[in-house]
Amino acid sequence: MTWLGLVSTLVCYAACKALYRRFHVVFLNPMITSLIALVLFLHFTHTSYAAYDASARWLTALLGPATVAFAVPLHRHFHVLKAHWPEFLVSLTFGSATGITGSVLLARLLRLNHVVVTSIAPRSVTTPIAMDIAQAIGGIPTLTAVFVILTGITGVIVGPWLLRLLRLQSPVARGALFGMGSHGIGTARAFEYGAMEGTCSSLAMIVAAFITLGLAPPLVHALG
Amino acid sequence: MRSFAQSLSARLRATAVALVQIAGLYAVTLACNAVARWLHLPVPGSILGVALVFALLQLGVVKLRWIERGADLLIRELLLFFIPSSVGVMTYAPLMRQDGWKIVAVVVVGTLLVMTVTGGVAEAVWRARNRRPRLEQDPSREASAS
Repeated sequence: MTWLGLVSTLVCYAACKALYRRFHVVFLNPMITSLIALVLFLHFTHTSYAAYDASARWLTALLGPATVAFAVPLHRHFHVLKAHWPEFLVSLTFGSATGITGSVLLARLLRLNHVVVTSIAPRSVTTPIAMDIAQAIGGIPTLTAVFVILTGITGVIVGPWLLRLLRLQSPVARGALFGMGSHGIGTARAFEYGAMEGTCSSLAMIVAAFITLGLAPPLVHALG
Repeated sequence: MRSFAQSLSARLRATAVALVQIAGLYAVTLACNAVARWLHLPVPGSILGVALVFALLQLGVVKLRWIERGADLLIRELLLFFIPSSVGVMTYAPLMRQDGWKIVAVVVVGTLLVMTVTGGVAEAVWRARNRRPRLEQDPSREASAS
């Protein structure tokens, strides 16, 4: 039974990806459909999350090397970053600061629990890094993982709509919007617009992780 | 038949190469995690790993072909690695029942703000820079896919 989590996740992911490739509707994003299908599956088979995660965690373990793997696009497309570094640096610094302050202030406005507030603050960067930041500022990493995914899914849904609304012309701005706003999940979507958008999104995601890492602890501290 | 067998063995070899490269990236991650913990660095191991591998690639110490198949595979299937953590939401059922709508509101409004600010600022800087005579054309610009 140990293999249940791993096998069910792989099968579900492959099926949901095929479904998305066939119909291509925002709400059929494999992230959303896989999550719903697996939660329902575990619910109806009375399987606990711990039993599921016993082998599914091997996939989570690959998030570390997957993050390190971003050194490859960073190296391959370093000329893009060099050519557009002002766009990236300025927009991602503002984006990162907005992400942290916005989350903390909104969460406090709605009187959410303090632990929820610190867990939600780093939600705009990729999961492994967000979890590390959460740990550093006193949040619960697993809760942060959930918020990060929720952010990614939200970004994938509202991103294309925002692109039209803001009338963004530059592929750098479109990529930065996805990379900063919904990290890895958004980067997968950004590649559907074009290679340059996807590249900028992955670059934005990496740079945003560095910036948030620097900004989160002092900002959360300053916000009390 | 022979060409099918050849293409199959080529594909198997390509997959094996990618898996070995992923194992290598995993080893780098573990090493960086250990170093970060050992030196009490305020930086997670994975970020240290990105910086290290990037620097080694730039310096030519590590060759792109040593890791690119594995790296591309990991990045292409990135969503898969997020799924188990996201299923973890079910362990927070009571919190979600109690505060779920508030959390969703924070995330949705927050993400709209982040994306608007990031996209808007990037576009503004891009326009300001492009008002000057064109410096260069974006190299990898391709036709829109959707």
